[in-house]
Amino acid sequence: MSIMDKINNLDRRIVYLLAWIFVLYPLIFPLGLPIPISSDARAWHSYVENNVKDGDTVIFTPMYGTSGMPELFPMTVATMKHLLEKDVKIVVLSFWTEGPLVFTALLRQVNPADFGYVYGVDWINLGYLPGSETAMGALATSFQNAVANDFVEGRPLSSFAIMDNIKTATDIDLIISFETGTPGAPEWLRQWNTPYGVPMIVGCIGVSVPGMIPYVNSGQVSALMPGLTVSAEYELLLQKPGLAVAGVDAVSTSHLLIVLLVVIGNIAYFLTKGDEK
Amino acid sequence: MGEALKRIEIPIALTIIATLLQVIPYYFDIPVLKDAAGTASNGVLLIVACATFVGVISILQVHGKRVQRRVEGWYFSVLVFVFVIIMVLTGLPLAEFGLGRNNSIFNWVFTNIQTPLGGTMYSILAFFITSAAVRAFKARNIEAAIVLVSGTLMVMGNAPIFTSPVPVMVDISLWIRNVPNMATMRGVMIGAALGAVALAVRTLMGIERGYLRGGGEE
Repeated sequence: MSIMDKINNLDRRIVYLLAWIFVLYPLIFPLGLPIPISSDARAWHSYVENNVKDGDTVIFTPMYGTSGMPELFPMTVATMKHLLEKDVKIVVLSFWTEGPLVFTALLRQVNPADFGYVYGVDWINLGYLPGSETAMGALATSFQNAVANDFVEGRPLSSFAIMDNIKTATDIDLIISFETGTPGAPEWLRQWNTPYGVPMIVGCIGVSVPGMIPYVNSGQVSALMPGLTVSAEYELLLQKPGLAVAGVDAVSTSHLLIVLLVVIGNIAYFLTKGDEK
Repeated sequence: MGEALKRIEIPIALTIIATLLQVIPYYFDIPVLKDAAGTASNGVLLIVACATFVGVISILQVHGKRVQRRVEGWYFSVLVFVFVIIMVLTGLPLAEFGLGRNNSIFNWVFTNIQTPLGGTMYSILAFFITSAAVRAFKARNIEAAIVLVSGTLMVMGNAPIFTSPVPVMVDISLWIRNVPNMATMRGVMIGAALGAVALAVRTLMGIERGYLRGGGEE
């Protein structure tokens, strides 16, 4: 068997081992590769910086579970830090069961109190709302009817000062949604953006990006954060290197491996094509 | 009376009423219908919340049977069984007993078991994609070559190791994403939306009965 035949029939365990090495090495020994800033990162940063005004009310929603954390958690943390630097009201909620637990993990990295935010006055956590798109629709018509108590203290919403001015979707100025699937942006668009005109920006995993682009182009999604690489660029724009910058070297090396394997695989395929005939 | 309640027209009528109750207030501002739709939505939320408990019971039943019958891999079911019980009990909203979201066991299991396992499941994709790169991404014909080239360019456009020395890679990948990809996705979305409208109309007219047991056949 020639070397080209061996490449064509490469044992998958060798491929897995290579993938493991190419991902692990830069995580243990960071390469510090330069990270150019893309237009996506600039658009996201610019939107939060310029379009979110003091006094605005923002829905901040981690719509993912633990499986989405490696890719989405860094952008969630970075965006929360960015928001907390402003004087806004933040309503945290999720239509994913693990969303509130993801946010609890976020609170271990970012404490709103450090930014002068008081729970119940400047921000509130409504926890998990069961019911997917139906719950989104119900929440849009009445926060008080859709959510009985808050997630942190278990008290009725009416007992919190922040909820005095938040009754329906018309009281919300922006939705920031981080998501891995359904329910996600299309449901937000149908229940909040189209009927009430609430703007939204979306952070999503890489595989969801192709499906999001039509919404970005139509202006329904005002900014898109597509995956870990752009998260790292956003962290650099914020001058707060964090989890994404730490992981982006591994993105580079793993992508390099894929390109190398594609090229080598195709060379081997064409060189042995004649032999097969 | 009993026979009358079994008539197929009843669930169909209920479906039509429930659907119109949600659709009409979406397009027309009729306060009475809006209130009624809101009440119906809140009812759905209650049903879904109760269904969570059904899910827990179902998981315990399924895995309990697997353990009882000692089917292959039954010991994994024991783990599921144990951790479901731990998470349900420690996560109960009874703060006065030290339970709930601040419970140390609940948080430890979520942070140190659930989170890394969830991340690992998703990360396994990296191995499959790398394996596919060497096996499946072959330019066997024109169509495959187009997918191969555009896919490779997209991969390169997402990695700073390529975009830093060759900035034009970003523009190329953005063009692929924003032009041919968007055109295709729009087509897919519009097609799916038209299909959904057709299905909704068929359901509203009582023609589509797939959601009824046995397709609504007597």
